[in-house]
Amino acid sequence: MQHLLQDDESCPQVGLMHTVEVIFKNLLKRQCVYPAAEEQSKSTKKSKAKAKAKINTKAAEAGPNDKCFELYNKTWSRLLVCLAGANKEEASVALKVCMQLILAEAKHLSHDNDGNRPRKRLRSILAALVESETAPALALPAFEKYARCLDLLQLCYELLPELMPTSFVDTPNQALNYLGIVNTLDLGKSVLAEQQYHMGVEGSFDLETTQKLLNEVWRGIIDSCSGVEEKVHRQVLVVLLERILPHLENPILLTDFLLDSLHQFDGPIALLALQGIFSLMQKQNITYPDVYKKLYNMFYPRMFYNKYKARLFYLADIFLTSTHLPENLVAAFAKRMARLALRSPTEDAIILIRFVCNLLLRHTGLKRLICASAAATVEIADPFDDTELDPVRTGAINSSLWELVVLQKHAVPEVANAARFVSKSLPVMEFDLGQLLEMKESDIFDEEVKKVSKQFMLSYERPKNLALPKHDVVTKFFDLI
Amino acid sequence: MGFKTKKSSADAVYAKKSIKSSNPFDSATAQSAKRVNPFDVHVNKEKFKILGRICKHDRGMPGVSRAKALQKRSQTLGKQYAVKNKTNKFVDNRIGKHLSGDQLTESVMNARFLSEKLSQIRASNKTEKFNLNDDELLTHRGQTLEEIEQYRDERSDDEEMDDERLDAEYTAAAHFGGEGDKPQDRQTAIEEMISEQKRRKNEIAKDKDEVYDLTEKLDANYKQLLGLVNKATEDEQREKPPPDAYDKLLKEMIFEPRGSVTDKLIKPEELAKQEAARLEKLENERLRRMKADGEEQEANVQVTHRSADDLDDGYFMAGAEDDDDMLAYDLEGNLGTHLNHKKQAADKDDNDAADSEDDDDDDEEDEDGEEEEEESDSEVDNLSDLKESESESEAEEPATKQPAKSKGKTPKANSATPIDTSIPYTIKMPKTYDDFSELLAKYTATQQVTVVERIIKCNDPKLEGVNREHVVKLFAFLLQYIKDMFEDASEQDIQAHFQLVAQLMPLLYDLAHLNPERMSNTLLDVLKEKYGDYRKNQKAYPTLETLIYFKIVSNLYSTSDFHHPVATPSYIYMQHILSRARVRTRQDIAMGLFIVSIALEFGASSKRLLPAVFNFLQGIVHMAIPKREGDKLEIVPPFERDGPFSKLLAIAASKTSKALAAQEMQAADLVTHTITEDFKVRALDTALRLIKYCMEELLGEHVGAGCLATPFLALFERLSLEPYPEHVHQHYAEAKTALERVAAKKMKPLAPPDRKPKALRLLEPRFEVVYDDKRRPKMSKQKEERAKLLHKIKREKKGAIREIRRDTAFVQDLKLKQQLESDKERQEKVKRIYQEASMQQGELNELARAKKRKKF
Repeated sequence: MQHLLQDDESCPQVGLMHTVEVIFKNLLKRQCVYPAAEEQSKSTKKSKAKAKAKINTKAAEAGPNDKCFELYNKTWSRLLVCLAGANKEEASVALKVCMQLILAEAKHLSHDNDGNRPRKRLRSILAALVESETAPALALPAFEKYARCLDLLQLCYELLPELMPTSFVDTPNQALNYLGIVNTLDLGKSVLAEQQYHMGVEGSFDLETTQKLLNEVWRGIIDSCSGVEEKVHRQVLVVLLERILPHLENPILLTDFLLDSLHQFDGPIALLALQGIFSLMQKQNITYPDVYKKLYNMFYPRMFYNKYKARLFYLADIFLTSTHLPENLVAAFAKRMARLALRSPTEDAIILIRFVCNLLLRHTGLKRLICASAAATVEIADPFDDTELDPVRTGAINSSLWELVVLQKHAVPEVANAARFVSKSLPVMEFDLGQLLEMKESDIFDEEVKKVSKQFMLSYERPKNLALPKHDVVTKFFDLI
Repeated sequence: MGFKTKKSSADAVYAKKSIKSSNPFDSATAQSAKRVNPFDVHVNKEKFKILGRICKHDRGMPGVSRAKALQKRSQTLGKQYAVKNKTNKFVDNRIGKHLSGDQLTESVMNARFLSEKLSQIRASNKTEKFNLNDDELLTHRGQTLEEIEQYRDERSDDEEMDDERLDAEYTAAAHFGGEGDKPQDRQTAIEEMISEQKRRKNEIAKDKDEVYDLTEKLDANYKQLLGLVNKATEDEQREKPPPDAYDKLLKEMIFEPRGSVTDKLIKPEELAKQEAARLEKLENERLRRMKADGEEQEANVQVTHRSADDLDDGYFMAGAEDDDDMLAYDLEGNLGTHLNHKKQAADKDDNDAADSEDDDDDDEEDEDGEEEEEESDSEVDNLSDLKESESESEAEEPATKQPAKSKGKTPKANSATPIDTSIPYTIKMPKTYDDFSELLAKYTATQQVTVVERIIKCNDPKLEGVNREHVVKLFAFLLQYIKDMFEDASEQDIQAHFQLVAQLMPLLYDLAHLNPERMSNTLLDVLKEKYGDYRKNQKAYPTLETLIYFKIVSNLYSTSDFHHPVATPSYIYMQHILSRARVRTRQDIAMGLFIVSIALEFGASSKRLLPAVFNFLQGIVHMAIPKREGDKLEIVPPFERDGPFSKLLAIAASKTSKALAAQEMQAADLVTHTITEDFKVRALDTALRLIKYCMEELLGEHVGAGCLATPFLALFERLSLEPYPEHVHQHYAEAKTALERVAAKKMKPLAPPDRKPKALRLLEPRFEVVYDDKRRPKMSKQKEERAKLLHKIKREKKGAIREIRRDTAFVQDLKLKQQLESDKERQEKVKRIYQEASMQQGELNELARAKKRKKF
């Protein structure tokens, strides 16, 4: 055993960890890793230990037990190092082994102790995760599985306030890891319904207390999150939206925080803040008059390249659902989206076109964007002002969606077909954007390739060299040969 | 009827008017023509005319129909009546008694006649022995009279004619039954006839034999004579007199086939015409494919005015078609596309001219074929020279540039080059790719092309079925070879590689045409694989061979199609690269520009656009703008707003940069990483030219393209041109004017195309059950059916009763007639008896008076 732990450098870590897991599980099963050993090590009184060993009629094994325990602790510390390491596989295996050992301990060690041992172990794991080397700790995906167990969930929330990094500003990595852990702790309905327990003690979970603990954790976070890095701020908002907001006691208090985030930043943070505000509007009835202006300004070309694109579409879809919005506002949105579709990657262009189509369906007054009245046949320059920040003042309502006409000439047939509604007729039903949001550019390629077509039309003019006989472009600009 | 009479009278009038003299019987109707006697017709007067009712009994001919009925009855009922109460019966036992009309053929009739005759003979065997009237076969000396007629001796006739009187011998023999020769009975007659027949047959056979023998004999004699005859004819020919004018003319006039008929030779003009027609057909097909489904109709319905009477039956209004790209006739009646072809032809000529020039160059350069690489090196050197030579005047620069350019245009593989004898003429298809690459490694670049060409020729699928696989394999090998070439291309050999690809291009084209489906699938698989590789790292540009594959797609396929199984995935791939891959090195920029130009080439004829192209060009311009700290211009990823990569192409004003000559992008740019000053200028210059090209060629026609041009203008404002040479200034100005023109373009507000006028709804007549005021109880279907049937029965019964009544009337009539007849007969008889009795009485009285008188 010792041997195993010592010359670990030479053998693969993963296998080693699995072996260790099996060994210690068996030892724990046989009660060889003696709980008294702990006391013994604490008190450092051999005689007492021996006495206790005698009482437990395992005197002969007292000596080895000591040894075992020592090794066990050593193993733990090694596992924790692995857990915080930079190797993904090792980290996840280490986490798994740790969890299995906790389970074994909880099962086989007598309960006459305070029962604190799993708690301590878990604490050490969480601490290791928080202080992990990499910014999102690599063991986090593995941890997610265990975080679905209610008893661990509650325990984690109990432990988290203690583990909070001292300052989010100075140690952004720790802060991110901490928030990452919180992000895995889901108190959602599905988790509650599953009723999984890691250590098998049912009924040890209490939702209300957990929620209280959660509030406490959030208070800790919000206290330390002024002037933090953008990345951390974003993570705070994600955690807030995904995990914490539904369980907060007094969410109205968040208004300031969210509004500050909304006004000080743009891009993803503003978007997340907007989503928070949206849920506050829904549940707490706060009013925020500028919300459409903010939303409008979130549509800009760079938007397609950040992670929260789908969220933005989702939000915009909800915000623009109302049929009581002023037409010029919605027209500005439609016009802006059409413009964006001209500059966006393929999959987004499809979404945007569908979105515009949905808007036209919802707001019948917007029909004038694609069918001008008969009188207005004079040629005009586009009255739409895309530099204007206020959607109401863009003059979009007097414009037309010429962008969609251009999009009909898009090289990708899907996009061109999507934009066809302008010159044909509007569809009857609104499109479901849900599926489209999932789509990636590569999916379009795959679908295109999948279409089995036997018509491989060849060009009929034989090229003499690189240049095409007609419409040659490449050799005009490139001096290749 | 009235109509007919009117017509006939009109005819009569007309006839009178026209010719009187011709024939007085012309207008007369034939006597045999069936004419209705107007007195026979009975008209049933109709009180009200009801539309749509067909009245069958408005006029009738009671006399005729009554006569018909009477005739029918007399034939059926009358016959029955006639045999009533009679025990005798006529039984028709004739042969074929059921036959009638046409079925009674000659044979049936003969059989009837024969049987009739036989029965007669049988019946009259004894009784009619002496019946002279019987037309039995009459014989004379055991021979029938007919036979005697046949074998009549003519000469005896002549003799008879000589002495008109019959001699005693003849009369003794012929008159009064001859010398006691009794008329033979039938049996002997037949026997004699048979024996006679046999005799005649024998005689005929004998004659035939004789004739045959004679002909045999003649033939044999002829054969003996034949030699002599031939000689004689030959002699005759020799002795033939010289042909006179008539013979000559005759011989000339005799038509002799002078050779087998073949297709007439096609003249070069006709060949060209056929080719033009073929191209035109292909072009039209391509145009059709280019349009999305239903796009054409949209184009058509954009008519400014539509008449209210427009039936929308596909006739175009005058002037509706003004698209000169479409197939249309011009003023001279030529097809519009012809004009294009003419242009192309002119272009081709130019190309040919250029080619021939090149050929000249080739001759010079072929000698130092191996020095090409060195030359490309020296070209790079030249550039460095240019950079150093600040003091050189601008006038000299083009002069130095031109030779470099002409060197750049390197020899092309064509038939003009002397055929290399070191290459075997037949090359076997290599089994594996390793063999293939080994084979090619043996030869120089130009020879490689010949090798591939010969492999294709040796493995043409028309020669052998197995070659089909070989050709596909060769295509795959070539693609693989291209990949290997470009994967690790260096600055030195990249140009040579491009040359090789350029020469392989026509061969690839030929290969693709051999089996489009298989080849395309191969290429598509390669593209898929490349895309799979790229997907793993979307931030990095793919390797160079991917771009070459794009170029191959562009060269081989009709990329203008709305939907194309190879071109469309390539489009998506290119868009993906341009919108995701980071631009950080010289290679990235060059590759990006390469992809942009390929994408433009794809859409050159279809005018389809890829948004990423515009984003990329904006990015290039953006990178060329020198930015100060905190200075943020809006730009779409993958380009960065700030940081070192946002000003990759920005240059500081210096004289070196100003003095740079105009240059296209170089092949070496695609493989080098370090960004030099001349590259910066070159890239920006190319970008500007591409922008101009896009705006003029691609967006010129599109409505609403202005929003694509405006972002460029914002960037152009910021671009300071100070450090750039003259040609960049010029291109900048050109691009800017093009952009402004597109951006300032005014547009009509969108309006949906006029809908087709909806046809009036044609109302189908709705049929309703006529209410006839007869109140019948509603019945189930079955009952109704039954009621109907009962009604029918009732009507039929009525009809039958009427018929029976008429039958009885007929029979009564018949009886009455009979009665009357028999009464009459009886009266006659009574009369006659009375008459006779009175006559008798009279005679008696006479006698009595005479007795009295005698008494007195």
